[in-house]
Amino acid sequence: MSLLKEWYDAIKEAQSVDRIEEIRISVFGKKGVLAAEFARMKEAPDEEKSKIAQELNVHKNGLMNELTAKKIVLQTQELIKNMKAEAIDVSMFGQKPQAGALHPVMETMDRIVEYFSSMNFAVKTGTMVEDDFNNFEALNLPKHHPARDMQDTFYFKDEMLLRTHTSPVQIRTMMSTKPPIRMIAPGAVFRRDYDITHTPMFHQVEGLLVDEDGKVSFANLKFILEDFLKYMFGDVEVRFRPSFFPFTEPSAEVDISCVFCKGEGCRVCSKTGWLEVLGCGIVDPNVFEAVKYDNVSGYAFGLGVERFAMLIHQIGDLRSLFEGDIKLLEQFQ
Amino acid sequence: MIVTKSWLNEWIDLSSISTDKLLKKLNSIGLEVDSVVNNKVPEKIVFGRVVECVKHPEADKLNVCQVDIGTSTRQIVCGASNVRVGLDVVVATIGAVMPDGMVIKPVKLRGVESYGMLCSAKEIGLGDVCSGIIELDSSIGKYKIGEDVSTNPIFNDDIIEIELTANRGDCLSIRGVARDLSAAFDKPLREINTKEDEDKRVGIGRILTLSHENNLDVNIRYKAIELKNLNIPFVTKLRLVQIEDKRESDIESLILYAIHSTGVILRAYDFNFFRAKNETMARVSLGKDENGFASIISKNKKASIVGVGQDDASKVVGSEGTILIEATYIPPDVISKRMQEKKVPACPAYYRASRGSEPELNQGLDYCISVLEANSASTVYGGTIELGEVNEDKIISVSKKEIDEIIGAVIDRAKITKILKNLGFDTTKSSSDNFVVSVPKFRHDISNKQDIVEEIVRLVGIDNIPSKPFIFAEENRLSDDYTKYKKRQTYRHKAAFSGFFESVHFVFDEKRVLEEHGFATVDESKELLNPIVNTLDTLRTTLLSGLLRAASNNSKNGYSSVKLFEVGSVFNSQREESLKMAMLFCGDKEAESISNCGKPSKVDFVFFAQKVSDIIGAFELRAVETSHSLSHPFASAQILIEGEVVGELFRVHPSVQESYDLDITYMCELDFEKLPYGLKTANQTSKYQASFRDLSIVMPKEMSYEKVKSVIDLSQTKNLVRFYPVDRYSDASLGDNMSLSIRFVLQSFDKTLEEDDITGSMDAILTALKNELGIEIR
Repeated sequence: MSLLKEWYDAIKEAQSVDRIEEIRISVFGKKGVLAAEFARMKEAPDEEKSKIAQELNVHKNGLMNELTAKKIVLQTQELIKNMKAEAIDVSMFGQKPQAGALHPVMETMDRIVEYFSSMNFAVKTGTMVEDDFNNFEALNLPKHHPARDMQDTFYFKDEMLLRTHTSPVQIRTMMSTKPPIRMIAPGAVFRRDYDITHTPMFHQVEGLLVDEDGKVSFANLKFILEDFLKYMFGDVEVRFRPSFFPFTEPSAEVDISCVFCKGEGCRVCSKTGWLEVLGCGIVDPNVFEAVKYDNVSGYAFGLGVERFAMLIHQIGDLRSLFEGDIKLLEQFQ
Repeated sequence: MIVTKSWLNEWIDLSSISTDKLLKKLNSIGLEVDSVVNNKVPEKIVFGRVVECVKHPEADKLNVCQVDIGTSTRQIVCGASNVRVGLDVVVATIGAVMPDGMVIKPVKLRGVESYGMLCSAKEIGLGDVCSGIIELDSSIGKYKIGEDVSTNPIFNDDIIEIELTANRGDCLSIRGVARDLSAAFDKPLREINTKEDEDKRVGIGRILTLSHENNLDVNIRYKAIELKNLNIPFVTKLRLVQIEDKRESDIESLILYAIHSTGVILRAYDFNFFRAKNETMARVSLGKDENGFASIISKNKKASIVGVGQDDASKVVGSEGTILIEATYIPPDVISKRMQEKKVPACPAYYRASRGSEPELNQGLDYCISVLEANSASTVYGGTIELGEVNEDKIISVSKKEIDEIIGAVIDRAKITKILKNLGFDTTKSSSDNFVVSVPKFRHDISNKQDIVEEIVRLVGIDNIPSKPFIFAEENRLSDDYTKYKKRQTYRHKAAFSGFFESVHFVFDEKRVLEEHGFATVDESKELLNPIVNTLDTLRTTLLSGLLRAASNNSKNGYSSVKLFEVGSVFNSQREESLKMAMLFCGDKEAESISNCGKPSKVDFVFFAQKVSDIIGAFELRAVETSHSLSHPFASAQILIEGEVVGELFRVHPSVQESYDLDITYMCELDFEKLPYGLKTANQTSKYQASFRDLSIVMPKEMSYEKVKSVIDLSQTKNLVRFYPVDRYSDASLGDNMSLSIRFVLQSFDKTLEEDDITGSMDAILTALKNELGIEIR
């Protein structure tokens, strides 16, 4: 029996899970101490057998409990030790995404398209190479019209041209579809102009709504554009100024209160407190005549996506938008 | 169009209107204010009068002046050559802070004390108006010696630049803008009265005759004047500086001033240009020139083209003698159509003519003559010689209902009448629900109902029209174009998530570079006619060159890893547009970090192909020789999706890399139309476990894996789900051969495969490889 007692001390002194396993085998194994004691018990006189058995069982349970408890302690200690060895300085691993990013202009275009799609406008696209009729003539811009000066045009040797706005998409849509029409035309457009504030290519979204005569009013145009601009720019004031476009009449330009100075007046808004962001108007009857629409009324609007993107994201340099410049693009990750 | 508040004030009383209110009004009626500059002369700069002027005892070029500044007389030493007794001047008194920051203090000049400064226009911030000190005259209106000059509106003016829209030729003058403001403010326009005393004058008919062809659509009117001692008043000089314009001679300057004031196109001619030797009469004829322009002709010499330009020979030289002042009007559409058909060089007047100059010729002619008379000792001939061909009135009828419908609000009838009347429209023929409007001649832009409504909208103020949602019938408007847009958006998102930055480039490229790299270019007959710069002289036929350039710039900016993509239009040689998607990966696979010891490995073929696959899905590659020279000849592939070629993927040629300063670079370009998009269908999958077997075969190094693959595919081996190469090995013992390990995945829909089934399948594959390609197991 005293032999067994030693094992209590052995368990107490054990320093590793491996040692516990050794002890377990030495005590509880087939050739272990307990087995030996039970074997010896058979040789004991019968009247003592039950006492010895009782005593042996007490030790058996006692040792097992000790062993299990010690094992858990040691396992935990070892786990902690192992985990300590795996410790890392997390502060060394702040991350930058490996993902790329969408271009701010294209993403702005997506937002614009999203707004108008949700307002049940159809998305229509067209080709960049256009003819004079669809780009100018049908839009009430005859060849001698002074407003053609406003849109310095890229021409091709065969008299085709690069569209100066996405309006030809509207003309083509009207020529091929009956009213009512409710559409936007997003896409790249071209003007022969290249300086700090102009690039020969930029993007526009133009909208057109056509319905029965007398149904579409300037008040309707105001409603959707005010709502749209608030969606795009947040809480801004919206102001309409009468203006002139050959294809609309009455026409207006739309300003928002300056997003940089909140209307106080700053460098970006030329101290006026307002930023011009949109052109719009009631469709000129000459346009409807060109596409052979009778008894209709409509409104149209158009905007430059780069300008929106630059104002929304506070991007200073227009030209950097066309250079694939990661310095700029990685800020949109 | 530049106007100033004081100049406008000559035609409309703006004394009770603040500049702020004026600007707001201009904006709200569609005359967009581009910029405003308040040109206020600083305080303590006062009106003064030179009462004594003697030479400085010690300096030839200096004068010692006694200057009356109201409260007292100050001694001021002045270096200007035009200083003299009796002159009214602008005096900077002690303590004045000049616009350039200089503070006026008492000083000694060569021993003589000086208490102030006599100022030039430049010194008080008014610009280069005249040489020497300012010589004040009655053109600035009443002023009091001793008062701050800024109390006079001329010296405290607001210079307003208006961005005029192309339709508003009527506002290309001070009077025109004042006229629009008079309607907006409901204030009368001040007409300048120039009744001449005809009796005392020699009639112009004594010296001038006008002959003309018919149907030239021209209104023309002449006055003649004996010019003598012309003095351009200070205000005129100042305002010509303010509008940033000037002419060589005094008479031309004055004409310019009258044009800007009234909008009438005016010219001055040398009388002798039209007069033959020995004759007293000058003969002016109006006819068509060789290009069909209405022209002023003397015998066979052209003096000018109406609304376009004047020949130098007919201009007035000197400031004495008989001159003719001409006012013309030609309708804008007539002149711009002619110019469209036959482009000829034009002077600044053409801009006015083509946008609609002022048709009321007298407004300009009389104004010009009155300014001339007031500032010279000239005598004017009585009457005018004139021709008036353009006279028809435009009448437009629009109902009250139409007006309300277009605006979307009910506008009071009386209000409409008042607005139109103030704008100069005659509405007297209107009935209770219908407006019959006669359009004033100066409003070239008004031709239909919408134009009339626009006038009403403009003056009611768009901000006063309540917004109203449009009520419409809902409809499915998800068009094919929308689907295409969404497809593009989806691929763009995938590319961005796969690590690429979206870039947008011009659809222009440089033809020379495209050709150099072996790309097709747009056919010469369809090429751009007027490119903006040489480096953008054609339409791009590929996205690759733009991405290469961008990568090069980013590399130079220190980016060791450049990942870019673009989805955009390209054109073929027939200039037909199609959509492409391209990716570029240059340099490091990943960012430098602890995990790669700061030395990330470089992008390789497999890595790049994997990235592309993350975006466009599974594909196969086939070796190809690209049609352009950007690619590494032994690392280029066609990309096939379900057997169709959708694009190419390649390593960039080492010499191209070098010339663009690039690290190892891979690119791919895809036909966007051919990329898969749409709903996927799920295949039935087996519930039983799949088994994996590797097979190492020995094959010639030269042999393409594609061959091995197609043989295995064609063997249609039972239970073979998929297979892919996993390892390659070669050594000296293998010679020209290599060992390739292929992993096979086998699975059945019916049961878990047993060893016999698997062995059977693998044997079938080996047999096929041996029979077809002579390839054996290693």
